[in-house]
Amino acid sequence: MTVTISGLSKTYPNGVKALMNVSLSIGNNMFGLLGPNGAGKSTLMRTVATLQDPDSGSVHVDGLDVLTQKNEVRKILGYLPQEFGVYPKISALDMLHHLAVMKGVTHAQDRREMVDALLQQTNLWEVRKKALSTYSGGMKQRFGIAQALLANPRLIIVDEPTAGLDPAERNRFLNLLSSIGREVTVILSTHIVDDVRELCARMAIIANGEVLLEGVPTEALTALNGKIWSKVVSTDDELRSLESQIHIVSTHLVGGQHEIRIFADSSPGDGFRAVESELEDVYFLNLSQPTKKAN
Amino acid sequence: MKMFWEFLTFELRFRRKSISTYVYFFVWSAFSFLCVASENFGPVGFNNGKVLLNGPWAISLNDFLISLFGIIIIAAIFGTSILRDFQRDTYQILFTKPIPKFAYLGGRWAGSFVTAVFAFSGCMLGAFAGTFAPWTDHARIGPNHLWWYLQPFLSIIVVQIFFLGSLFFVVAALSRKIFVVYLQGAVLFMVYLIGLTVFSATRSLERFWSGIFDPVGLQLTDAVTRYWTVVEKNSLLLSWSPHVASGVFLYNRVLWLSVGFISLGVLWALFPMSVETLTAVSQGRRAAKMKQQEEFELRPVRSLVAARLPKVGQVFSPSTTRAQFLSLSRLRIRTVLHEIPLWAIVGLMIVFAINNGYYAGRVDEIDVWPVTYLMLQAVEGGATLFLYIVAALYAAELIWRERDTHFDGIHDALPMSETIDWLSKLVTIAFVELVLLTVTMLCGIFMQTIAGYYHYELLQYFKELYVITFPQIMVFALLALFIQTIVSNKFIGHGIAIGIFVLVPIIFSFGWENTLYLFGNVPPYTYSDMNGYGHFVAGLSWAITYWLAISGFLGVIAITFARRGSDDGWTARLKLAAGRVPRLVPVALLFLVIAAGSGAWYYYNAHVLNEYLNAKQRRDIQADYERQFKKYQDLLQPKVTAVDSQIDIDPTHRGFSGWGRYTLQNKTSQPISEIHITDQMQSISNLRFDRPFHLVSSAPRDLYSIYAIEQPLAPGDVMQMTFDVSAKSPGFRDSNERAELAYNGTFFDSTYFPYIGYNSSMELDDPRRRREEKLAPLQELSQRGDPMESKYQIFLQDSDWITYHTVVSTTSDQIAIAPGYPKRDWQQNGRHYFEYDMGPTHILDFFAYISARYNVRREQYKGTNLEVYYHPGHEYDIDDMLAATKAGLDYYQANFSDYQFSQFRIMEFPRYRQFAQSFPNTVPYSESIGFIERMVKKNAIDFTYFVTAHELGHQWWAHQLIGANVQGSNMLSETLAEYSALMVMQHKYGRDRMHRFLRHELDRYLRGRSTEVRHEPPLALVQREPYVWYQKGGQIMYTLADYVGEDKVDLALHNFLMKYRYANAMNAQTEDYPDTRQLVDALRAQTPPDMQYLIDDGFNSIVLYDNKAISATVAPTSDHKFKVVFTAQARKIKADGNGNESPMPLNDYIDIGVFKGQKDEEQPLYLKKERLTQELNTFEIVVDEMPTWAGIDPYNKLVDRIADDNMIEVTKP
Repeated sequence: MTVTISGLSKTYPNGVKALMNVSLSIGNNMFGLLGPNGAGKSTLMRTVATLQDPDSGSVHVDGLDVLTQKNEVRKILGYLPQEFGVYPKISALDMLHHLAVMKGVTHAQDRREMVDALLQQTNLWEVRKKALSTYSGGMKQRFGIAQALLANPRLIIVDEPTAGLDPAERNRFLNLLSSIGREVTVILSTHIVDDVRELCARMAIIANGEVLLEGVPTEALTALNGKIWSKVVSTDDELRSLESQIHIVSTHLVGGQHEIRIFADSSPGDGFRAVESELEDVYFLNLSQPTKKAN
Repeated sequence: MKMFWEFLTFELRFRRKSISTYVYFFVWSAFSFLCVASENFGPVGFNNGKVLLNGPWAISLNDFLISLFGIIIIAAIFGTSILRDFQRDTYQILFTKPIPKFAYLGGRWAGSFVTAVFAFSGCMLGAFAGTFAPWTDHARIGPNHLWWYLQPFLSIIVVQIFFLGSLFFVVAALSRKIFVVYLQGAVLFMVYLIGLTVFSATRSLERFWSGIFDPVGLQLTDAVTRYWTVVEKNSLLLSWSPHVASGVFLYNRVLWLSVGFISLGVLWALFPMSVETLTAVSQGRRAAKMKQQEEFELRPVRSLVAARLPKVGQVFSPSTTRAQFLSLSRLRIRTVLHEIPLWAIVGLMIVFAINNGYYAGRVDEIDVWPVTYLMLQAVEGGATLFLYIVAALYAAELIWRERDTHFDGIHDALPMSETIDWLSKLVTIAFVELVLLTVTMLCGIFMQTIAGYYHYELLQYFKELYVITFPQIMVFALLALFIQTIVSNKFIGHGIAIGIFVLVPIIFSFGWENTLYLFGNVPPYTYSDMNGYGHFVAGLSWAITYWLAISGFLGVIAITFARRGSDDGWTARLKLAAGRVPRLVPVALLFLVIAAGSGAWYYYNAHVLNEYLNAKQRRDIQADYERQFKKYQDLLQPKVTAVDSQIDIDPTHRGFSGWGRYTLQNKTSQPISEIHITDQMQSISNLRFDRPFHLVSSAPRDLYSIYAIEQPLAPGDVMQMTFDVSAKSPGFRDSNERAELAYNGTFFDSTYFPYIGYNSSMELDDPRRRREEKLAPLQELSQRGDPMESKYQIFLQDSDWITYHTVVSTTSDQIAIAPGYPKRDWQQNGRHYFEYDMGPTHILDFFAYISARYNVRREQYKGTNLEVYYHPGHEYDIDDMLAATKAGLDYYQANFSDYQFSQFRIMEFPRYRQFAQSFPNTVPYSESIGFIERMVKKNAIDFTYFVTAHELGHQWWAHQLIGANVQGSNMLSETLAEYSALMVMQHKYGRDRMHRFLRHELDRYLRGRSTEVRHEPPLALVQREPYVWYQKGGQIMYTLADYVGEDKVDLALHNFLMKYRYANAMNAQTEDYPDTRQLVDALRAQTPPDMQYLIDDGFNSIVLYDNKAISATVAPTSDHKFKVVFTAQARKIKADGNGNESPMPLNDYIDIGVFKGQKDEEQPLYLKKERLTQELNTFEIVVDEMPTWAGIDPYNKLVDRIADDNMIEVTKP
């Protein structure tokens, strides 16, 4: 399965340019869409999920035109929106059965197996008969994941799926996704770099509606090999003066002191030591230098 | 104090920025503006053509209505002010600061109060502006008095805002849930309406306590102003004085103001100013929930290895679509059924239905059997509003639910078509409505069972609720779904839906009456036990089809534009719509074709086959007739002396045809060469004379034709006039179906026959309508003794008395009846023929033809054949009718004169018209007024008995003696028939039972005069005022008989009757018809000198009493008796025709009584007429037993505007 996005642009009525000429090619396996809030990730995901039409450009899924053959795409789609609510007073079990029917799983036995398996997988089995409206945020998110996986979708779009999950559930979910992701196309948007690092065979970094980088995470890392330098700065004044001299990729607090990371072909000088590049460096580097494509 | 101002100004700033404040202001401005500027809107417009639209009573009444509809707005303003902090969680910040309770609560409350007063003050502006509207009837706009605006606003609306606002504020502050506030508002509104229905259903005459305890004021206005005359309505405000109307208004205001103050006190005492207490409950609940969730999270951790998900098959086939549709519908129905508001609505609906069902069909303490149509009317009437509210509410909820719950992201990406999604919403509403309708039906059946009526007629329930009402609700539901789909906000959608719902009847009242453009409108229909839904079926079903098709089309448009996906902009929606259009076009076309087809068929029937006229156009025709032909009113014309006819009734096609022949005699002294004919019903054709003639002129619609006969009719000469007469009912009409023609229950009278000359009874009589048509005020009847008019009788001026013969036929399964003795009865060509002949007996030129499938009950009573023709199943009251007839025959023959016929027949007709009418020896009697009466309580009023005796009385008063065409003559038939019936009833039920009946008659008289559109005449000069000739006349005559003696009054009537009956029955019109002067003289002759004032007061002027019991004490006497000291006030007032009153000297006999036993079951220990000459009178009365009550005029024999205060409980000093 291949998702081909070409020349996608979208401007909202309030003038916000959500997507600007975005082109991506996504094959089987997991594809990570990384970007800060408001980068246009959700717009892109909604467009692929048939919920929104772009101003220009096209999206194709294995020969299906998403813009004109929406219903065909929906049949193979599993979608978890970034934010969603639930009907009050309906249990997860009933809702999943309903959604399964809606996705064409009309065979009762099939449906039961699938729904039960998903309830188990998402750790909702115990509470399957409780009204969804009584669920906590994490439980609700797991329900969202379950419904996205109903009916063996071949195209799975998950928008910020790990938000609101505790670490154990996050791991479980990522496991689940990766076990499925080998056969199908999964597009995962996130602003958490680790999600992409742990899961995705390919990724794109997107900001301000533009694709800053598209590629394989490891390749992007390789490109930075030996070019990331780190230094611990003890005072704010020092940090301020460094800021004015060189471009800082990122800073972390380590024991109350700033550890700064910069990008340079050679050692930038005193106190800096070479460190191993991380995906986060790729991310921040791309965000801070939108014009330069590091690939 | 500073903090208080802080909160107050904050509140006011907030409200000033809030659009809703201005919306409320505008709503009330518009409401009041329309109330004044349009006679077709509001409570006063229709009321009475003389009441000023900006007068004090009108403004007060409008203000009370505003108070009623304003309940929800008051709830919204006061409720939200305090809830705002809890909805937005600002209370956490607020209550951790040191804020005085007074500042917080007082500021919020005062801010809301000021806002509400401002919002409601729009009503004054609107009403004021309304007085300048150029199109209004300026005869009904008086000068603007500021106080007339301010006083009602302050003492009605501001008091209401204070009391209700405080109550809502307290509930909001203590419950801290907006839902509870609205629920309270809605419940109050509903409970109030229920209370009003209960009260109006019982038609209780109690006005004091019900007025005081009325929290809104409609009952209160009624209590105070029920009997206000026009003059009073145009000059008096509701007064705070304790002396006006027993101080009801004052006490009411004081009571509810106190409730307001008490509410605030309760709030002060109970409102905690601390976060912990305020949130204790919700925090506890939240904590419990969290704990529960944590327990789930902490279950033993399972393997992190993801198990493989099973493979499932996806099928997308038509059966999947069906499964999707079912699943969606099931899900939505379940969600709706889980909602508390729905069950609250169902609960309220049941309360309404049970309550209304309990009083089904009950009017004025007269009990009837709750036949299914009455029960349906009761339970469905209460439910209809709920059904529409539910449709509007759930249309919005269902359209917006996915978006409101943010489930749309998942929902919209499902592989389904918009159509099934949308249709499942429709099905959900349909399901809920069916549930509600079924509940309604069960309530009806339940209440019938409770009432002991077991003839359930399930088919009628089914037809009415599921076949007629359900589709109409769905039409509205489709509209609401359409609106909600198109608009961008749920509340705008509600506004539009309510707007359309309210607008349709308003547009209708402005003369836009066409069913085809009033959304969802269907022609009115009436179910009759005799005729079922009868001829209404066709029009009704085509109208329903038409609107279903149109709303179906709207539905298709809605599907086309249904939101899907995250882009709500119109560009995106249009693009989506464009994609859907191809699939939906066929269905849309189908609906359009059905709409066009059914609309065209409806149009063809209502506008082509039948002439379509709205109410205004019908009035135009009447006005034109008057304008063009009134000049012929005094033209000398021959009179009808004999009628022969052959009429073939065709009930299957709701028509009849035949011919009639009049014998016309010139009773004047001039030769007559022109015959003028009024053809009121457009039923006459082929009119010809027994001599050469030609048509001189003919008006449009043949309403008035003038024929010239070539050989003039000499004085005294006789000629024949023959004509064809027929009526047809082609297709169906857009309302105004002829009630006279029915499949089962035809009943039409001689108005279908030609009237000789100008018929003044066709003139418009409502002064408002006459002004609208630019006609001068209605011509008054001539003075008594007018030499010209005394030669004509009041009822029909084209005849004196006639002889009558007819042959009437109908279908073979029906019986046809007309006045006359049956001569022959035969079947021929599948039709049933009847010949009736009056022989030489003279009757009025007033006859009717009746045909239906009847059962007949026949009895012989002292040589008179008594017959009741009734609908099988309506056997309930036949014995009662026969008993009344026998009693009446005995009484009238013994006291007045012989009965001129040897038969008396009653026949039932469908309830499209609700009266009984006395034709010669023939009384058609509506199925709804006499045939389903039921005597349950032991002191109930036997109305059937009374009406039967009244109609029988007309065989004397009208059919033997008829008055001249002058003022007062109508009472000679109606008042005397009323008196006759009262006497017959009194002999059966006794004097005590008469009191209850007469109290209602008194009430009707006093209400009647308060709505008088011209001027109230004294009884002997009555012209067109039924409340005078029935209710006042009955009361005056009854009292006269009580004072002077029944035998004396009967003797007077006998003398009067024998002297003047059958005036002009023979040959020429030489005699004068009698008028009320002769009646008054006859009565005067039997009245002793000291009671002559009764005649003058009763007949020749309008006299009211204001009698009142002041105090009564009792003390035992030495000889073991009881001495009562009773003080009473007696006052006598004279009123003019407009209601201006002036005091009269008192020198009257008035009953003074002392009673034992409970109220309403009291028995007299002492009753004597005392001659009273002064206002305050004290009596010392010794009675043998312990008394409980004392009273002045305790039986309300005199016309007293406050009849309640004549009795007082006897107390120990």
